[in-house]
Amino acid sequence: MTKAKGKIPPVVKLNYSKGDLIIKEGDYGISIYEVISGKVGIFIESGGTEKRVAILGPGMIIGEMAFIAGSTSTRSASARALEDCYLEACHPAMLLDAYKKMPDILRLIAGQALKLIVRMNKMVVGLSLKQEQLQDSQTQELSDQWEEKRKFYRKMVSPECVFRPVNSPKDLKIRGRIRDIGKGGLQMTVKTSGLLNYTLIPGDELFISTYLLLDQKVNMTAKIIWMKKGETDGFISLGIAFTHMESEDRKRLGFFLMA
Amino acid sequence: MTVNSQVLDYIASEESFLDKSVIIKEGSMDDWVYVILEGRVKIKKQTSRGLLTIDTLSKGDFVGEMAMLKQGSTTRTASVVADGPVVLGLLDSVRLTKEWEAQPTRIKKLISNLIQNLEEATKKAADMIVASR
Repeated sequence: MTKAKGKIPPVVKLNYSKGDLIIKEGDYGISIYEVISGKVGIFIESGGTEKRVAILGPGMIIGEMAFIAGSTSTRSASARALEDCYLEACHPAMLLDAYKKMPDILRLIAGQALKLIVRMNKMVVGLSLKQEQLQDSQTQELSDQWEEKRKFYRKMVSPECVFRPVNSPKDLKIRGRIRDIGKGGLQMTVKTSGLLNYTLIPGDELFISTYLLLDQKVNMTAKIIWMKKGETDGFISLGIAFTHMESEDRKRLGFFLMA
Repeated sequence: MTVNSQVLDYIASEESFLDKSVIIKEGSMDDWVYVILEGRVKIKKQTSRGLLTIDTLSKGDFVGEMAMLKQGSTTRTASVVADGPVVLGLLDSVRLTKEWEAQPTRIKKLISNLIQNLEEATKKAADMIVASR
């Protein structure tokens, strides 16, 4: 290969905002990037979702796998900015000459590393899919039990309540409206915009307090069992199972349910 | 897979191992590089659930190349154990190191990075295997 310095595009400096896609899996791309600042997540698509296989920080290179695998291969994974990132992109022509001149043995070693990374990533994606299925079935079981319990008795009410995730600041108050309540749990609706920056997922533990009767405050610790979009736009419905309640609170709830 | 003739040229000596012999021990500090001439080896990692097999390598594959190509530490990141009788070719490390050092910085960085990614990917795979048990 003759050196054609003038034809090699220069190094380009690039800024990405949190969430931006840098490389898309399956694309034909040739640029090689170096992370200068920020964090980049490497994702592989599987079963309709992206599975994260790595996090790379400053000094790390992304996009080199397609180069080592050869120009005809597609991107083996996506890269996405996990925070605001600053990257330098270079054209592989800068490296190609040197790469071709390398002793065969080093190229073979690089090729093997590539093959093993792909194998490891496949294993990680496969196992994480399996794990999710397992978790789903466990959540399912839990919610079945809960449904079972709640069939017993549930009262249709609509008092307001305030709650916060157990690990959030003490002064945080997210508002919700209880739709029905039983001995084992409750169902409530929450305005999505009221969630502030908190993302809730099934399994999260919450502190909830509400006034069931005029001055009867009841506190409970509970776990989110399921979540779905509310009937009204901008609202979500939460199915919640109680995990802990002081005996005083339990008594008040009991009285309320009997009344 | 066959062993590349260019690679054969680097072999300084041949070593035979019996089934289940430990060829490389995780955590030890050497940087020999081998190529598998006959048989198979298992790559194992120490985890909270004991020693787990992460991968199997066979004829023509390199073993122990990570410690040499990584920047900094030469600590072995995984154990390599014979899976049946194995014959390994020990590579001429002086020649290999000299050729590696002579590479342009960009190339060295590219390959070190690749090795680091492999190390991370292996660690993650081991974690996932532990979590799924």
